[in-house]
Formats: sequence, structure tokens, C-alpha cells
Amino acid sequence: MDQKGLGITRAILFCRQLDPNQDANRRAIEREMGARIRFFPLPCSGRVDPLYLMRALESGADKVYLITCPEGACRYREGNLRAKKRIAYAKSLIEEIGLEPERFELILTSAGNHKTIDEITRDILAREES
Amino acid sequence: MPPKYHIHTSRAENRFQKITKSGVIAWDEGCLKCARCVKKDCVYKVYEKRGIDTRQMLESLDSVCMDCFRCVQGCPNKLIQKGINPSYKELGDHYWTAEIISGLWYQAEAGRIPVSGGGYGGAFSGPGFDAMWTDMSEIVRPTRDGIHGREYISTTVDIGRKVMALEFDQAGALVNDPPPNVEIPQPIIFDLLPWSPPGKGINLAMLEGARSLGTFAIVRQSEFSPEMEEYLPNIVLYVDGNVSDISPKILRKLRLIEIPYGKDSIAAQKKLKEEHPGLVTIIRMELTPDSSGNVSRLIAEGAEAIHLVADEYGLEKSDKPLFIKERMREIHLHLVDKGVRDRITLIAGGGIAMAEHVAKLIICGADMLSVDIPLLVAMECRVCRRCKDGISCPVELETIDHLWGASRIRNLMAGWHNQLLEILGAMGIREVRRLRGEMGRAMFFENLEKDIFSTLGKRG
Ligand code: SF4
Ligand code: SF4
Repeated sequence: MDQKGLGITRAILFCRQLDPNQDANRRAIEREMGARIRFFPLPCSGRVDPLYLMRALESGADKVYLITCPEGACRYREGNLRAKKRIAYAKSLIEEIGLEPERFELILTSAGNHKTIDEITRDILAREES
Repeated sequence: MPPKYHIHTSRAENRFQKITKSGVIAWDEGCLKCARCVKKDCVYKVYEKRGIDTRQMLESLDSVCMDCFRCVQGCPNKLIQKGINPSYKELGDHYWTAEIISGLWYQAEAGRIPVSGGGYGGAFSGPGFDAMWTDMSEIVRPTRDGIHGREYISTTVDIGRKVMALEFDQAGALVNDPPPNVEIPQPIIFDLLPWSPPGKGINLAMLEGARSLGTFAIVRQSEFSPEMEEYLPNIVLYVDGNVSDISPKILRKLRLIEIPYGKDSIAAQKKLKEEHPGLVTIIRMELTPDSSGNVSRLIAEGAEAIHLVADEYGLEKSDKPLFIKERMREIHLHLVDKGVRDRITLIAGGGIAMAEHVAKLIICGADMLSVDIPLLVAMECRVCRRCKDGISCPVELETIDHLWGASRIRNLMAGWHNQLLEILGAMGIREVRRLRGEMGRAMFFENLEKDIFSTLGKRG
């Protein structure tokens, strides 16, 4: 686990409605990965502004994930749809300055998701490796 | 009369955005582009000042908004919503509640007592300290007289053994020198922290704070470092190694030293005092159901001061733990019964989270208190205990500037001191030493319940 990602730092912005126990659940993975991962719980993923994503890159993350609730499950109606549009816009912004758009990735959890935030994160990391 | 003890406060801004009770969610999509957007009408200019704190990915929006709901109600397309901030609910735990933490933050930042303005909205009884009310029958007078110096109220306490009677020889000279005593202008010392991120800034902030308040901070012998030397007159050195490893140079500058409770603690105290007769020794012991017996034995053997320590939640160590206020009452009354209460200084600590707890625990028989977690909270700690698990601190406490930390601590203590003065004023007591053990001036829910309800349903 410790070698995972070879020093790539990741910022994980996520909608905290996903996992009511997120604070406790992410502690183990934070301990394992130390400074290579940072979590940013958002009250709603629709709250994300392209600026958040840009700033996350600027503050040293190599890859920024935005994890949202399943479509149609947003507590504030359409937050996750908005998140989708915003991440697309952010991608176009960094492309213009010559960065790979893949540095931003939207993870839309599937309906009926019961995974905790650390499980979702581990899935993402495993997928990165394969 | 000595000059009035006054704590100088100055605003010390937060380094991180505080976690507020509610948050704003405002959409851009669907915006009707009204000629005049409600966001422009915010009296507090919240939307104009809007910015992002990247260390936390938090909008400044929430911490500036004053909850007037004007924008929420005004947007024709209902694009602005306010909701309870889930991070607020997650702060702390059942004991160190979000309300307590944000109250401490406010005092540490502003140096003032939080005023809700709406009267007391809470419950009138609850677990722990909430099951106790103080008698404020003197409240007819302006209670702020003490704070503003129109009335002299002393909060000074002493640590050390008291002289019960003076003895003179034939020539009229004192037979024994009075034992050493240390006077502290407010009944609070700073305790070892149950957890904290590494970094000397936190320790130095507590020491600087203690020095400027004229009180003391406990420092472990094993954590003592050369840059702390200038603070020695305000340090209680906790001996967690061998006394013989402490250099005589350090011992000479110390006024208070703390040793762990054990079978040879009295012998250790004796040895220390032979070499440094001016030093006052405090014996630190965990609060347990056996405390009163142990304390009275230590008094008979010559102890000067005892520091009784409960856990973070104010509970003693036991399978069925008693809360600190109940155990302190029992210890105090036991010592009063034996006629030895005045011989010893009792310092109680663990679970002290608010100013009123200070007054309440003194009423229950403590001479003074030791405080720990609130000092960290003064420096923006969120009581998440991530540092205890070895994970990064969300407010990067390891990087604080110790002078900033000290002013936050000073502000908080000033708030507590003023509240203590208010309580003393309202109770008509001019000296905190007189508050000790004044259980007749307080009501305890358990007793009331028993007195009032135990006879109900019984035939008389
Ligand atoms: S609720 Fe009131 S203070 Fe808060 S942003 Fe809206 S208009 Fe401004
Ligand atoms: S905020 Fe959390 S990690 Fe930082 S000092 Fe407080 S309890 Fe420890």
C-alpha cells in the first residue's frame, strides 16, 4: 500500500452526504498515505467551483477527484449535475494552459451505493494501478 | 489591597476558517440575471468578500454570513439555500460539544464572553456539571461591578501547606518557619495535554500564556528543552523520570514541582525539600473511588498539595466511574470530617470545559483547577483527535507561532476570569478562596430529586 502511486499526491473532494461516517472512515487510509492524500468533504458536490479544482492542483495535488452522489440522489436537488458541468469547464481551463484534462476526474457513485468513503477511495486507487 | 488582577486582551484572528453552524449553497446555473441580484443587497457584503481557503476548500461565505436569510428569501428562482453545516455537527463529541468548542473559539479570538442575547435557551438539568445550579441571590446588584473594578473581588489562591496555628518560643520568636506557599492570581493552572500534534509551538504558547497570566503550566521533565528555561518560574515540572536527572540549576529556579503518586512519593518529596526548602511539591494522582482515603493518608504524612486528575470527560478511573464533581465533593467532605481539609491544597482537573465549571468545581471542594483541552481549542483545535491517531491536524497546530497561541490563551482565560467574577459577584462572595466547599450555596439536581420526590407516593 505504501508504495502506491509512487508519490503522486491526490486531492479527494467529495460530497459528504455519501458517507455519514466519513470522518472516522477515512482515518485509516489517511494514516497509511500521509501527505500523499487529502480529503475535502463538501456539504454538496454542487458547491464545487472550478476554482476549487484549480486551487487543489495549485496547492500540490497531481490528481483531483470529485466524488458525487448518484444522479438524482442529490439532497439539494441538482448539485451533482452541476458538479458535472463544472468539472467539464475546469478541464477545458487547464487544457488551455497545457495540462492534461485527466488531472480532474468526476466519480459519480452508482445508485444504491453503500460504500464508505475509504472503500470508494481504495477502489479508485486500485483502478489507477491496473 | 494588592492591585486588581487584570488580563490584557487583544483580538487574535483565526488562522483557519471557523466551522460555522450553517452554510450557504448558491447555484449559478438557472440564474435569471436579474437587473439587481439579491447577492448585491447583502448587508454584510458576504458575496463580495467571497474567497476560497484552499487549505480547507472552504468558502469564506459561511463564516461571514450572519444568517439574516435575506438572500435566501429574495432570489426569485430560489437558487440560494442555507442549511445546517454537517461539519459543525461533527465537531468534538458528546462532552466536548460543538457549542462548547465554538464558544471557546469565540472567546479566544475576541477576548470577550459570548453573549447569546436570547436568554438561556438550554436545558435546566443534564449530566455532569449541568445538574448543579449556583445560588445567585445577590444578582440584584450590577454583576459586572467586579469586572469593571467598581468592586474588589479577589481570585487569588495559594498552593502549599497552610499553617494551622503559629507557635512561639519563650523569647517570642516563631518556632517554625511557615511552609513555602505559591500565590496564583486566578485558580487555574495549565495541565499536560491528553493529545496534541508534535511541535514546540504549542508548549511554548502555553508557557508564554502562563507567564503573562501569572500562573503555571505543567511540563514533563522528558519534554523540557533549553528554550523553556526562561519560563522556569512559571513551570510546574512533572517528574516522569529520575529526580536526580534534573540539574540543580533548574531546580533552583522552579517554584513548583509535581511528582507521580506512588508508595514513595512522600519520601521523594522529603528528599526534594531537603535540598530545595522553598519548593512546593504537588503529588499527581488519578481520580479513583479510593481517592479520599489516599488523600487523607498523604495529608497525615506531610503532603502539601495534591493534583487529582480525571479523564477527558471528567470521569474517575473505575468500572462505575463517578463524575469529578461528585468525587470532589466526597473527598472534600471526608477531609472536613477529619478536620484536615485546610492543611492541603487540592487541584482538580479533567473535563473542565467552560468557565462555569471552574466555579462549580470549587464549590464542590477544589481549591483550584487544571485545564487542558480548552487551551488547545483556544488555538483552534477541533477536538477531532486525529493527532492522537497520528494523522495530520486539520488546523496545522504544529506550525503555530507561540506568541499568537499565547494571546489566544490569554483571551480565553480573560473571558473565564470575567465569568468567575460575575458568578462571585452574583453570589455576593468577594474572594474565590471563600467559594471553596460552599455547597450550601448551590443546588444539586440529584439531591433535589430525592428531597422532593422520594416522599411522593408514600403514605405518611
Ligand atoms: S443570509 Fe443574509 S448575511 Fe447571509 S449571505 Fe444571505 S444576505 Fe448575506
Ligand atoms: S484539531 Fe484535531 S488533530 Fe489538531 S490538535 Fe485538535 S484534536 Fe489534534
